[in-house]
Order: sequence, then structure tokens, then C-alpha cells
Amino acid sequence: MTSPAEEQTEISQRVPTGCPVIHLDASAPLEAGAHWAKANELREASPAFFNSHAQGYWMFTRYDEVREMYQHPEIFSSESITPWEPDPVYRFVPTQIDPPDHAKYRQLISRWFAPNAINRITPEAHEIGRRLVADLASKGACDFVTDFAMRLPTEIFLTIIGVPNSDADLFVPWVEEFFAGFGGDLEQQAAMGAALGGIRGYWEDVLADRRQDPAPREDDFVSLLVNSTVDDEPLGDALILDILTVLVLAGLDTTRGQLGYLFRHLAENPADRQRLIAEPELIPTAVEESLRMYTIIFGDGRKVAQDTDFHGCPLSKGDMVYGLVSGANRDPRIYENPDEFVVDRKANNHLGFAGGPHRCLGAHLARRVMQVAVEEWLKVIPDFTIASETPLMERGGGAMMTLLSLPLTWEVAS
Amino acid sequence: MKLTVDVNICRGHGRCYSLAEGLLTYDEDGYVTPRGQAIDVPADQVDDARNAADSCPEGAIDLLED
Ligand code: HEM
Ligand code: SF4
Repeated sequence: MTSPAEEQTEISQRVPTGCPVIHLDASAPLEAGAHWAKANELREASPAFFNSHAQGYWMFTRYDEVREMYQHPEIFSSESITPWEPDPVYRFVPTQIDPPDHAKYRQLISRWFAPNAINRITPEAHEIGRRLVADLASKGACDFVTDFAMRLPTEIFLTIIGVPNSDADLFVPWVEEFFAGFGGDLEQQAAMGAALGGIRGYWEDVLADRRQDPAPREDDFVSLLVNSTVDDEPLGDALILDILTVLVLAGLDTTRGQLGYLFRHLAENPADRQRLIAEPELIPTAVEESLRMYTIIFGDGRKVAQDTDFHGCPLSKGDMVYGLVSGANRDPRIYENPDEFVVDRKANNHLGFAGGPHRCLGAHLARRVMQVAVEEWLKVIPDFTIASETPLMERGGGAMMTLLSLPLTWEVAS
Repeated sequence: MKLTVDVNICRGHGRCYSLAEGLLTYDEDGYVTPRGQAIDVPADQVDDARNAADSCPEGAIDLLED
């Protein structure tokens, strides 16, 4: 047990001599791929660091430690998942709820995003994919991350929720505005707030509408929430709106980011493209490989819930830790040729969707969206290249990463 | 070979049942079935079983070689 006086010790004074200290603020945009290079460098230099950025936090760079962090919520709480923000004023559900309560909320939603539910909407997902590709094909060029990669997951998501997928016209700009605000400049902050207001207002209207229904609707997620209970109590409006908003913020920009990196890879690697055209049964494996190699989660945070000695670091209750997921996913202790994209890599236990109780709830949906994208795109546009004179840039690792732009061109079939 | 999924560690990533379709399936919540009991792996599915075990992000799958 530590006495209260000891608990007050500045975190920086508890760093043991063997633990290297760095100052790393990964929030600035960099040339595409730079974040993974940094993660590789850190992982091979040391399994643990103390990062003096913000109030200071511990960093773990290798696979085993990152998985351990995810699998032990009794030590690593989700009260905050942002290492430089230990006391957030918001509390997202289910993201920031710890076990045992976490399971109650998760149960409400998880079946809606389980494989059977995804299979139900897969034919529609393919239809959406075909339509979006057809709209672009005759143009011969597009910015993949803004014109396609955001639109596809949004339309498919709205379909699974049970609202019109044409409302992607509203959601795409809201989500773009919201994530543009992550840079921190004040003008964008106002736009970010307005976008969040738009998203919440949309769900308020849907919710008010479903509350009027005399009976539950089939295949309608908001109707399901209206008719669900937690601890025998019906869900209040605030909780329902929270859940819906979290799904939008967790699900659309992430899938867009992941798709961008996968399509950059396909544009630059014609052999892999050819292979997927000849053997479409490898598309799911290629999607998993892109989640491993091109991890959009630079790192993920947790708050220490009890004093623990973790791999030589004396963690105190209240400290923040940062698991370098993109370091873990290329850890040579786990993967052969970790920096190589192996289209048919079979043994792939990547942590791109996290692990433990907070394992990405939308993982099955995200995979299906990506599979649909590759399949429908390659059928119509088998050959395409990157049309950029300057290096591609990626959003900083403070939020989920994404290419800021991916200009593609292809020959239009006459 | 025998394969066992640890009920307490499995988090329903679904990697295993997509790689070993002949051996494993899933329930309404996307968790693999069967869980918590040893199942016999036929000789022609031993590779699938190994891929499934090696691809589980939780390390929930144990293989027992004959
Ligand atoms: C390729 C795309 C995606 C990636 C890489 C991704 C990644 C992640 C990660 C790493 C977490 C864990 C965060 C943490 O615990 O700190 C997470 C959680 C979550 N994701 Fe995803 N995600 C993706 C797509 C989606 C989609 C499409 C949805 C739903 C529409 C979704 C919904 C959620 C939710 C609700 C959580 C919180 C789960 C919980 O706390 O129990 N995600 N995701
Ligand atoms: S891959 Fe692992 S965690 Fe996922 S369903 Fe299979 S056993 Fe469970």
C-alpha cells in the first residue's frame, strides 16, 4: 500500500532508471507512413517509455504488453482512453464504462452488429457499393478518402440502423467537420460543435418519432433501444442519444481511414490487386492484413485503477498509460516479415480492433464494408494509380489516423 | 488434435470461425461455438485449426496435439 503522501509524488519522479524518457506529441499531421516508422523505432528501442508529453504517461510498445493492457480492465480502466486527457468531462457509452457495468450496455447493442445481423444487410451493402463505384467509374479520377471511403461506410451504417441511407448527405459533412476539429484550432472547434449538434439533433428527431410508435419496428435499431431495459429500467433519451452518437463517431471515420490505406496499397501494388481479382476469396485475409499493417490506431490509452508493477514500471492509481497498437501489430516477436503486406497471411492476430471487453463492437461491420469496397471496386476499376506530385499526408496519431487525401486516376473504359 | 476455446477469454472477434469454417461456427452474438469443451480436429482440418489459434487476438484457443 502507498500512503497518500506517496500517491502525490509527481509521476515523472517515479520513473525508474531503466525506463527511457521521451517527449512525443504525435498529434501533428505527417507524411503518410511516418507514424508506423516511429512506432517501429520506439518498439525496438524499448518495451516501455515514460513520455513527458502533457501531464506525463507510460507507453508500452510491444504486442504482449498492449494485449495485456486491453485484457485487464481491473488495472487499466477506460475512464479515460486519451493519455493526455486523464479527466475527461464526457463519458462515452460503452467506450468509457468499465466491467461489470460495461456488459449491460454492450449487450444492448452487440447483437445488432454481430455476424448474423451483418449478413442480413450484406446484399444491400453490395448494392450501395456497386452504385457508388458506378457513379465514379466514368469520371476517371477521384479523391478516394473524401469521395468514396467516407460515403460507403456511412450509407451501409445508416442501412443497418434502419434510417434512409440517402441521409449520408447529412452525415458525411458532419463527420468530416467533426474530425477536422481535432487539429485544435479555434475556428474549427466551433464547426466541430455544430457538427456534433447536427448529429445529435438528427437522432433526437428519430428517437421522438420511434417513441410515438404503438409497437416495436422490425430491423430498426432506435426502436430496439426504445424498447430495451438496463437493470429493469427503460433507457432514457440521453443514454440512447449517447449510444447513437458514439456509433457515428466510432464507426465512419475509422472505416474511411482504414479503407484509404488499403486502397493506397492496392494502387501501389498491382500484383496484389491482380491476385485479389483472380482469387477474390483472399479479400477477407487482405482486409485483415491491412488492419495489421496499416493500423489507424497509433496508440490507445487507459487509466491505472490500482497500483501495479507492470513490466518494471511502478504504475500508480490515476496514472495514464498508452499502448502503442501500431507498434504491437508489427512486432517481429509475433509476426514473420512484419513490415511486409502478405495478402494471404493466415496467422494474423492483430489488435487493430483492440481486445478484451472493449473489442471493437463494429468489427464485423467494418470488415464487411471493406470487403464490399474491394470486391465492387476491383470488378469495375481493376487498374488505378495515385495521381499526386507531392507525398501523401496523414492525420496525426492523436485521433484515429487517415490519409488526408488520396487522389486516384484510372482509364475510363470506352 | 483437440481444440478448446476458453470461455472466459474469448471476446467474439470472429477470426477463428472465418479461418476454420468446417470446425467452428458462431452464435447470435458473434461468439464462437462450441466454447469451453475440447473438440476433435479431423486430420484434414489441422491447418485450419492452427491458423484459427494463431489468429485469435485474445489467445483464447488451445490446441492439444495427439
Ligand atoms: C476499420 C474500422 C474500425 C476500427 C479500426 C475500429 C477500432 C476500434 C478500437 C481500437 C476500439 C477500442 C477502443 C478502446 O477500447 O479504447 C473500438 C471500439 C469501438 N468501436 Fe470500432 N473500429 C472500427 C469501426 C467501427 C464501426 C464500423 C463501428 C460501428 C458502427 C464501431 C464501433 C465501436 C464501438 C461502439 C466501440 C466501443 C466498444 C466498447 O467500448 O465496448 N467501430 N473500435
Ligand atoms: S478469434 Fe478468439 S476471441 Fe474471437 S471468436 Fe474466436 S476464440 Fe473468440
